[in-house]
Formats: sequence, C-alpha cells, structure tokens
Amino acid sequence: MWLKRLSTDRIERRSSAPAKTPLIIVEPIKSALRISALNDAAAALGLRGGVPLADARAMYPALWVEDADRQADHVLLEAVADWCDRYTPLVGLDPLDGLFLDISGCAHLFGGERALADDIVSRLVRQGLNAQIGIADTVGCAWAAARYGETWQVAKGEMRSRLIALPLAALRLDGKILGALAQAGLKRIADVIDRPRAPLAARFGDGFLRRLDQALGREDESIAPRLPLPSYVAERRFPDPIGREDDVIGCIEHLAQELSLLLERRGEGARLLQIALFRTDGKVYRLEAGTGEPLRDPGRIKRLFIERLATAKDEHDPGFGYDMLRLSALVAERLDPVQSGLAGEDRQVELAHLVDRLSARFGARRLTRLVANDTHIPEFAVAAVPAQMARGASTVQPVAQDSLAPVRPVRLFSRPEVIDAIAEVPDGPPARFQWRRIMHEVIAAEGPERIAMEWWRDSEGHALTRDYFRVESKEGVRAWIYREGLYGREMTHLPEWRPKWFLHGLFA
Amino acid sequence: MTAATPATLTRLRQAVAKIEGQETDLRVGGQPFAFGVGTIDAALKGGLASACLHEIAPAMVRDFGAAAGFAFALAARAAKDGGDTLCIQTDFAAIESGDIYGPGCDLFGLQTRQLLILKVSHPHDALWAMEEALKCRALASVIVELPHDGPVADLTATRRLTLAAREGGRLGFLLRHRPTSLTGSVETRWEVAAVPSRPDQFGGLGRTAFVLSLTKNRHGPAGCWPVAWDHHDRVFSALSLGVAETAVDRPDRTPLIRAG
Repeated sequence: MWLKRLSTDRIERRSSAPAKTPLIIVEPIKSALRISALNDAAAALGLRGGVPLADARAMYPALWVEDADRQADHVLLEAVADWCDRYTPLVGLDPLDGLFLDISGCAHLFGGERALADDIVSRLVRQGLNAQIGIADTVGCAWAAARYGETWQVAKGEMRSRLIALPLAALRLDGKILGALAQAGLKRIADVIDRPRAPLAARFGDGFLRRLDQALGREDESIAPRLPLPSYVAERRFPDPIGREDDVIGCIEHLAQELSLLLERRGEGARLLQIALFRTDGKVYRLEAGTGEPLRDPGRIKRLFIERLATAKDEHDPGFGYDMLRLSALVAERLDPVQSGLAGEDRQVELAHLVDRLSARFGARRLTRLVANDTHIPEFAVAAVPAQMARGASTVQPVAQDSLAPVRPVRLFSRPEVIDAIAEVPDGPPARFQWRRIMHEVIAAEGPERIAMEWWRDSEGHALTRDYFRVESKEGVRAWIYREGLYGREMTHLPEWRPKWFLHGLFA
Repeated sequence: MTAATPATLTRLRQAVAKIEGQETDLRVGGQPFAFGVGTIDAALKGGLASACLHEIAPAMVRDFGAAAGFAFALAARAAKDGGDTLCIQTDFAAIESGDIYGPGCDLFGLQTRQLLILKVSHPHDALWAMEEALKCRALASVIVELPHDGPVADLTATRRLTLAAREGGRLGFLLRHRPTSLTGSVETRWEVAAVPSRPDQFGGLGRTAFVLSLTKNRHGPAGCWPVAWDHHDRVFSALSLGVAETAVDRPDRTPLIRAG
C-alpha cells in the first residue's frame, strides 16, 4: 500500500484551505531548498520532486509552501498502520510512505481482495488520505504494482509479464544502482530479466539481483510485523460505533467468552491480555492486563478490564465511539483443567484473582511481595517483586537472633534520617538523640553491630562503615540508629571530621 | 452444594433468634480471635471479633512504631492458620513512617512470604483496595495505613469497609499514623503506647512491650493493659509494670439513669 501524498495529506487534512490549492513541501537537499513532496494540484501545474523552491516560486508565486517534518510523517504512518490492524494482524512498515499488509487468509472476510482494497481506499479517503494499493503474491511485486502498475491486482501466473513492462525503479532499488543501470542503458525490467546473472551481480551488486528475485518470488521475503502476533484473538465489529463504557465492557465479556473457548480447546490460559479499541476516526487504543496465573474464565477477564479501564480513563477517549474491539491473548501458558471443589471456590484461585485485579488497577509494580537478596546491607536485603511474578518466591533467611528483642526493625526508612546524637564514649551507643525535633533519652542499648559496605558500592560514596545500635528510650521508643564512619580508621585525612548519626528504622 | 458464607449463616441465626424472641449477640462473623491474655479476652467477650474492622492508633506521635507493631502482631496471629496478609500503604505513608521491612517482619512473627504489600498514591485508592480485599476469603487480614488525620476514613467509608469485612468474613485493621480523636464505624479502637521493655538478665532489650488502651468496644468495657509480645511463639502475655493492677474503666452495659 502506497500513501502517495502522505506529507501533503497530513497538512491538508488539518487545514481549512480550499481543496486544490497547490501545496509543496520543501526540504534542504544538495544545499538548496527543493521540493520533496507535493499534492495533486501542484503536480498538475507541472512541478516535480527535486525542483528548487526558488524556481517553483518564480513560476508560481502563489504556491503554498511548508517545511518537511519527517517525524510527523512517521507518526502518521504509524497511526495508519495501527488502523490497518483491523484488516490483518500482520502489518509491516515500509519507511517513508508505505505499508505492507499480509492479507493471506483474511481477504475473504471482507468479500475478496478487490472489496478489501476498495474498503481501505474509501475509508482512507474519508480520513483525507490518498492511497494506492497493489496486491500480489510477493512483497516486491505488490510494491511495484502499487507505485507503477497499471492494474493493482496481479494474479499468480502473470507476475512476470506484468513486471516486464515496469521501469527498474519498481524493484525498490536505491538511487546509486539506478544511476549505474541507466548509464548502462538498462531502463526497464525487461532489459535485465533474461540477462546472464553473473555479470549483473558483478557490476551492480548482489542486492540488485535479490530485489529482482524477491519481486519474482524466487526468493522468500517476509514482512516484519510491527506488533507481536497474538496467539488467540477474538474481535467484534459494529455497524454503529459504541461509546458507553457499559457497552464496551459488555462487549469485552462476549469477546472473553469467545477467547476462553479458543483457549480451552488448546488447554491454555492467558498470562497477558490486550484489548484494542478502534475508534471510528482511526485512532487505536491498546490496554494490557497481566495475570499471575494462566486465566481463561470470562468473568475474571471482564473484571480485569473493568479495573484497567477505570484507571486508564485519560488514556482512552471514546470520541465518536469505537467501531471495532479486539481482545487478544498475547502470552498464553498451559492451563490444565482442575476439579473444582464442592465447597465453593478454591482460596488460592480467589487470591490470584484479587492480585490480578489490584495489579490491573494500580499497576503490577505497586502490588509486591518481598524476596530476600543475598546481602547484609540492610536496605538491599529485600527486594519488592511484583506479586504476579513472585510465584513460589523464596523465603527470607532469618537474621541470626542474639537478643530477646527482634534485631531488625519492622519499619525501615528508605532514606536514613539524620539525627543529633551524643555518645558517652566515641565508639559507644548514644546517651540521647534528637529525632524530628524531639529529644529521646536512651535507657537501654544493644550494639554495635558493625556493617561494612560491599567494596563494589564504593564509587557511590556509601563507603563508610556503619555501627548499628538498637536503642530504647525512656518513653519506650525503640529505634535502629547508626553512626557512619569509624574513629581513627576511616576519614582520618579530614581532621575536622565528626561522625554523623542516622536513624534507619523503627522497632515495634 | 456450595458453602454458605459465615455472614449468611449469622444472619440466618439472628433471624431465627428474633423469631424465637431471644436476645442475640449482634456480633457477626466467625470465631472471635483470642489474645491469650485473660483480662483482655474477658473484656472482648472471648477475643477480637473477626469479620470486623478494628482501628489502631498511636497514643502519641512517637508511638507509631508500637502501633504498627501491634497491628503486625495481630496480623501475625490471624495468619497462624495460613492465609496471606495484605498491607496497603499510601506513598506518603511510606516516606513519612518508613517502608515495611521484610527481615524485621519475619523476626517479629509476621512471615514475609505471606505478606503482600500494595502501594497506592491516594488515600481513597487505599480504601477502595481495602474494600475489595476484605471481600476476598483467601486473605487472613488486611491492614490499611492512614497517614493523615483528615476525614478520609469517615463514618461512611468505615461503614462500607465494615460491610465488606462482614461479607468476606475477614479481619480489617485501620492503622492510623497519628493520634486522632476522629473515629469511624469500627468494632474496637485501640490506642497503643510504647513502654520500655523488661530487660533480660544481661541488661539488653527485652521483649517488645506495649500499653494497650481499648477506647471503644461495642460489646464490652473499655480498658487499659500493658502487654508483651513474644515474637517467637506469636503470643501476647500480660506485663506487670510493678504498679497496682489497672482498673477496667466502665462496667459493661452502663444502665441508663434518667433524672426526673
């Protein structure tokens, strides 16, 4: 599919200028501003790509001129590719202004290849985009048919005869090779198609012959799809767009039922689900929801997306409504049917469902389980792992206990808080400390527990050794505090150095 | 046949009792959940009611650690027979009062592998998540932390949470970060103060000790008890502070006295 006037369409569909105003897009090429794209009206005046802007202005002073914006063109191309997802899941980008759609096996859903092409073109025209379509058995031939062909549809047997008539540029060659070919007097595909291959390869490179073979189907070429191909898909189209959230959710439930049948047939359950909402004006929203266990219960799939839609309100705006919804399982895993208990639902299943729903609503990283790390640095000793991922997580190794009271606090500050502390002896526990403007008189202390930083963390400036104390105040406040740095061994090069005290955690 | 929820059974029993004209215990839910300290269990008529909401607040700002510890201790006891504990924190709560620390919880008696932590950005989200979680029968208890003393958990919100707790038959704890006079529709309300522990024979720190003030109790007297928490066996024990036994504040069911 060739979006012939992509750049100018992009500007024209947003502007209120009367149609048929000659528009050119200019870009600095070879140290001059030259035309890089133009619309039909400008082409009718006899302008072409590559003409310097100054010349064009001299001929037609009233030209509408815009600067090129490759980024915006690319965004538009991506959006069109998203929109094309409704026809086939296999959509590939052809940089600058083309798209490849693999419609094998899909065309009959739209009433044949011709009806499909007409549908695409007429819908794109309504969106203000001009498209030319070529359908053929190979990517190369379709490309050539879209841009240079007289007929857009190339049947299986006639690929060769159609290609022969076309110029060599139809083989997707770059300018350098085309120039060399033109110098040798080769202009049409007919000129090279029956020539001996070895001299051609020697003179014009391997790439040239590969393009020829790809167009003729002698060499395989596959489309690189933009999005991962879902294993399971259920979709529904509406003659009238739907916009109410209840309708969307009701439809998701129907799709979930279809999907669950598909999943059940293969004995699998979904781990990652995606709902794609196709808005009538071509915008596509995709919302994903992950699960902790393979899932295929339609009711639960629906609940997941209720939570997901509730939090993603700003991510999707129905506008004039959606005309198609597609539910796909992007990742699926084996799920064996289990005998359900007589006494209601299994608790583990219920918990897994709660975890999925909370993760869908707040994000998978917000609901966590704690998993032990093999380090003695307190703040790195546990890692918060998303609860959906932490299946069969290891248990935390208990720290050796040498006291009646727990030796680790129940609350740990991610940033240790600076406190003012006064100790009786330099290496001893503090006699009193001030935390958050309140003075605490220490009546009992245990420690020090000396924790040195791991050597590879030095570069971050956390190199100082810490002496931890468990202290209890007169009022019963139990805190885990530490002094950073050792007297006489660390920081000796700074004579004015005073130890700093921090409060790192609170005991119960 | 599916198993009826405890709430349904209780409702049915209440309906039958009403027809028969008997006085019923208004408490719903399953077995009350004993403290193991005689005086407290007596005041609570057998223990902390499950399928209910309980509020825990520090007596002073500095007592937050003790209040959190008391909530974790109750959660640890609730999780003894299996089931996970869900802690819901706002981001602000984690910054203000520290993150829940896994190794510390393990030592304190609350198994880390049974602990789920949910962080949300807004207190309303925390309450929403709690309502959802309370309906899930696979959890042993749900703790929600409220760092503000503002009106987030007002009567309406706590009423909703109570209904959810009844439906699922779960224990819910509202852990306030600051002392507040506001209270919601809760079964009991505790004010927790830290007290120095009784040192071991070497002068080190002893078992974690609290003074628990029961300031609201729907089905019994209020009271105040010093207790110690044995994190190893996960039991509370009475702690004498070397003063006279604390008195129970008011008799159960104070008779109404009307003048005139």
